[in-house]
Amino acid sequence: MRESRLPPGEGEIVDRRARLTFSYRGRRIEAFQGDTIGSALYAAGVRAFSRSFKYHRPRGLMCASGDCPNCLVGVDGVPNVRACVEPAADGTNVRPQNVFPSPEWDLLAGIQWFDRCLPVGFYYKAFYRPRWMWRAAERLFRRLGGLGTLRRDQPIASGGWHRERRPDVLIVGGGAAGLCAALEAARPGGDVMLVDEQDALGGYLRCDRHVHASADEHSGARGFEIARRLADAVEALPNVEVLRRATAFGRYEGGLVGVAQGRALIHVRPRALVVATGGHETPLLFGNHDLPGVFLAGGLRRLMNLYGVKPGRTAVVVAGRPEGLAVAAELLDASVGVAAVLLSERALNEWSRADVAKVRAAGARLLTSHAIREVRGRGRVQSAIVERRDAGPASQGEEIPCDLVCVSAGYRIAAELLRHAGARPASGDQAGAPDSLPATDGVYAAGDVTGIHDLRIAMLQGRCAGVRAASALHAGEAPECEPWQEQIARLEREYVPPDPGTLATCEPEGGKRIVCLCEDVTGADLTGAMTEGFDDIETLKRYSTASMGPCQGKMCLPATIAACAAFRGITPSQTGTTTARPPIRPVSLALLAGRKHHVTRLTPLHHLHVRAGAVFMDMGPWKRARTYTSADEEYGAVRERVGVIDISTLGKLEVRGRDAAALLDKVYTGVFSTLQPGRCRHAVMCDDGGVILDDGAVSRTDEDRYFVTTTSTNVDFVEGWLRRWAAGTGACVHVANVTSGFAALNVAGPAARSVLGGLADVDLSTTKFPHMACRQGTVAGVPALFLRLGFVGEIGWEIHFAAEYAEYVWETLFEAGRDAGMAPVGVDAQRTLRLEKQHLIVGHDTDSTSTPLETAMASEVRFEKHDFVGKAALTAIRARGVRSMLVGIELADARGADEGSPVVRDGRAVGRVTSLRYSPQLRRHVGLAWVPALLSHEGARVDVLSGDTALAARVARRPFYDPAGTRLKA
Amino acid sequence: MSFLIHCPNCGPRSAYEYRFGGEIDERQPPWSAAAPAARRGSAPRNDSGQRTEMWYHRHGCRRWLVARRNASTNEVLATFRPGDHEDEPAAHRTERRPDA
Repeated sequence: MRESRLPPGEGEIVDRRARLTFSYRGRRIEAFQGDTIGSALYAAGVRAFSRSFKYHRPRGLMCASGDCPNCLVGVDGVPNVRACVEPAADGTNVRPQNVFPSPEWDLLAGIQWFDRCLPVGFYYKAFYRPRWMWRAAERLFRRLGGLGTLRRDQPIASGGWHRERRPDVLIVGGGAAGLCAALEAARPGGDVMLVDEQDALGGYLRCDRHVHASADEHSGARGFEIARRLADAVEALPNVEVLRRATAFGRYEGGLVGVAQGRALIHVRPRALVVATGGHETPLLFGNHDLPGVFLAGGLRRLMNLYGVKPGRTAVVVAGRPEGLAVAAELLDASVGVAAVLLSERALNEWSRADVAKVRAAGARLLTSHAIREVRGRGRVQSAIVERRDAGPASQGEEIPCDLVCVSAGYRIAAELLRHAGARPASGDQAGAPDSLPATDGVYAAGDVTGIHDLRIAMLQGRCAGVRAASALHAGEAPECEPWQEQIARLEREYVPPDPGTLATCEPEGGKRIVCLCEDVTGADLTGAMTEGFDDIETLKRYSTASMGPCQGKMCLPATIAACAAFRGITPSQTGTTTARPPIRPVSLALLAGRKHHVTRLTPLHHLHVRAGAVFMDMGPWKRARTYTSADEEYGAVRERVGVIDISTLGKLEVRGRDAAALLDKVYTGVFSTLQPGRCRHAVMCDDGGVILDDGAVSRTDEDRYFVTTTSTNVDFVEGWLRRWAAGTGACVHVANVTSGFAALNVAGPAARSVLGGLADVDLSTTKFPHMACRQGTVAGVPALFLRLGFVGEIGWEIHFAAEYAEYVWETLFEAGRDAGMAPVGVDAQRTLRLEKQHLIVGHDTDSTSTPLETAMASEVRFEKHDFVGKAALTAIRARGVRSMLVGIELADARGADEGSPVVRDGRAVGRVTSLRYSPQLRRHVGLAWVPALLSHEGARVDVLSGDTALAARVARRPFYDPAGTRLKA
Repeated sequence: MSFLIHCPNCGPRSAYEYRFGGEIDERQPPWSAAAPAARRGSAPRNDSGQRTEMWYHRHGCRRWLVARRNASTNEVLATFRPGDHEDEPAAHRTERRPDA
């Protein structure tokens, strides 16, 4: 490792004393603390990191800043991790992706010899006839191409957590402009948030060792020193929250900015947004420019100056921008030989004299009239072919041996967030054209993202943006940045955009010219697509898939636009650009799917059920015991002895006040103002279309006090619905949700009275406590509300009492009921018990079109009432007549069918079964089914389809069990 | 969908904290004595543009509020308590940013 590392340098971020190791293809890779996976692998001699999507071309580090798709690896089973920005972690297992079998030697690289068989859009043109062909081809392509695999045997860390932040100012980008913006925006004392992708603030300045002669108060300091000063100043501010290694991946409706940081997804809603995202360096399209060893200047700088990695032995530098020349000088400092520097005549005269002198002194050739045509090498760069720009097509070019090519060609402004905000940079994101981006409703741009690459301008723009963003929040205070504005204007006039000139030849021969690195789209593919008529930038993108890979056009969009413009003979700005859509960087589905707030509710008796060996089922947020022993056994307990069901999940509301009766009369279909205190009544609630919303029992416990139960999953809704109809009326009514305050048990069965009677201080005899009555009392000394109701068809009581006593009451009850054979009963048995009584379950037997008039609840709609929610609709339905009915259904023999099976008559489906269970009492299946009104009379013959078998069934309108209710009311 | 609704009780909150309660007719709101609950109360015209709606602050104070919202832009123009009026102190009107 030592020989590939540079001597410790200033500004580097690796800690050479702290070492860690991870494994890569069976090798142990040593790394320093602060290394990324990419820098550590590169230092260990790895050059090819992956194979490309389609042609399996070797790919290595290129941008080293997370922009390009070349270094995607799998880390501990998570695919598509960007090695160049992912910190190396001790003990992890890193694997290359899409390699057969290794990045250095891939069997499938041979595919590129057959590229004539794979023209652009080949999957639209081939394999579609005969039809089975596509299936086979698709399976093959999925294996050959692609981006890593999800390993099914390895669980992926799932679920991020979501949080909300609402700062005054959000600044995206922690470079010079962003930091200056933060300093100014924080001055009035507001809540400022700064989001940056890197592990430390400073942007590109972090790896810049160049001395900045004119940088206002920072003049004479080196790039990384300026970065550190600004970062320290920002981090010292108490009202600035700095999020490092965080990506603002999109701006959405209402100014919402999505920020992904590790496993957290932060919904940021700033009042003002400063976009200081800088730019993405773009490659130069010479032949084989995707070969490992070809670096973008910024990537090389990061590798050398941040991680102290010696990148190679001999370099050819293509300096289209001053950074290129600076990197050439830095390469010499890192004792990397520089064979040649390609730059323009003007650049030679205008750019840093010191760097030119240094490069010249080191013996490098300064080529002002040459362009790079291609690079050659097996698996990595071994030589570069340069030729005179005026050379004819016959020119062989000159081969310069080297193992590194440094490209500094241009950059594309990272204007994605601005575009999401509605800004339309006229330059088509090509840097170099100063562009005053419109500040759309609280969105400000600063720094390189405005199209000017100049440190002084960036810092001034940052300050202006910060001041404006902060002052926009305090109306009345005029922004105090006029002098800065003038300064910016002056500097902009002086600013000369660098001219990369024609440093690459565009002859078609001499190595593949991959435009889109993600999808392996070549220049020839683009030309082919445009020849076929897809010459609009949007259709060109869709047809050729250029810019549709993981990097989302960061590398290839300018080249694609340029190709499109050249083909049609128009300018790049006339060509336009593709629509920028979030996310800017890939965001994992696991993070987005992270549950915001998942609730699992347990009843206060839950762990007693667990101890009793219960099997649970989900019911909305609740866990309910499905069975304890067996459904049959529990069924028998209720019918013959006594059973106890934990019904604590029932929604429980207290409705109190002078106008409580009026509210219930308005919202439910029945009448509750006439209900006597001490009585209960079944209640149905409809929406204004007459559709059943919920049902439950309403008990009048006092003159102005009602206890209302709702279905287990619906209490939140019913609570809101009751409040809705009280809101604004000035009515004296109070709705309190007491669901979790009370535990509830249903004690039912022939022995219920004797067992419960022994514990309760309430007279349970029918004369004193008739069916559909309620009483306050105590059970085992615990204050409780007793409701005599009969969902399961046996004499029984619902007892509601403080949840804190749940275990005590349960245990006391079972002790008292031991001799009577008392048993806990789960939902499974309860469902059978209620079906024998034809009690429907709202939401199970009914759906979003069912009205009470179509069910046994029809008699509970009291049309004589002056007014209730849904009355108009139900009146109309009654006048028209119902078309179908929910009726009891009884199968002819013991054979059954699935719930949801069709009900057929004369071979035609006329309805469906909503519930069907085996009734031990009747020894056949009984259930509920929707049938046409014409077939809804007692004894009507229908069939139930089970698979292909039609099972004979008859309609039953009276309960199957105890139709007269004598057992219930006994 | 990602906009804020200003709850008269709790202040500005994400729309995800609320339950949509349907459109209402402001001339005959559900709480007015003149509006029978029996009538199809929410009168969903579903026009684009500005409309008046009820929202329930489910994950907050559990109270209902009235919101004037532009359904095309999701801009919430004003919120107030049912029965109140826009010009009462508890009502909230969205201020426009000075630069907008």
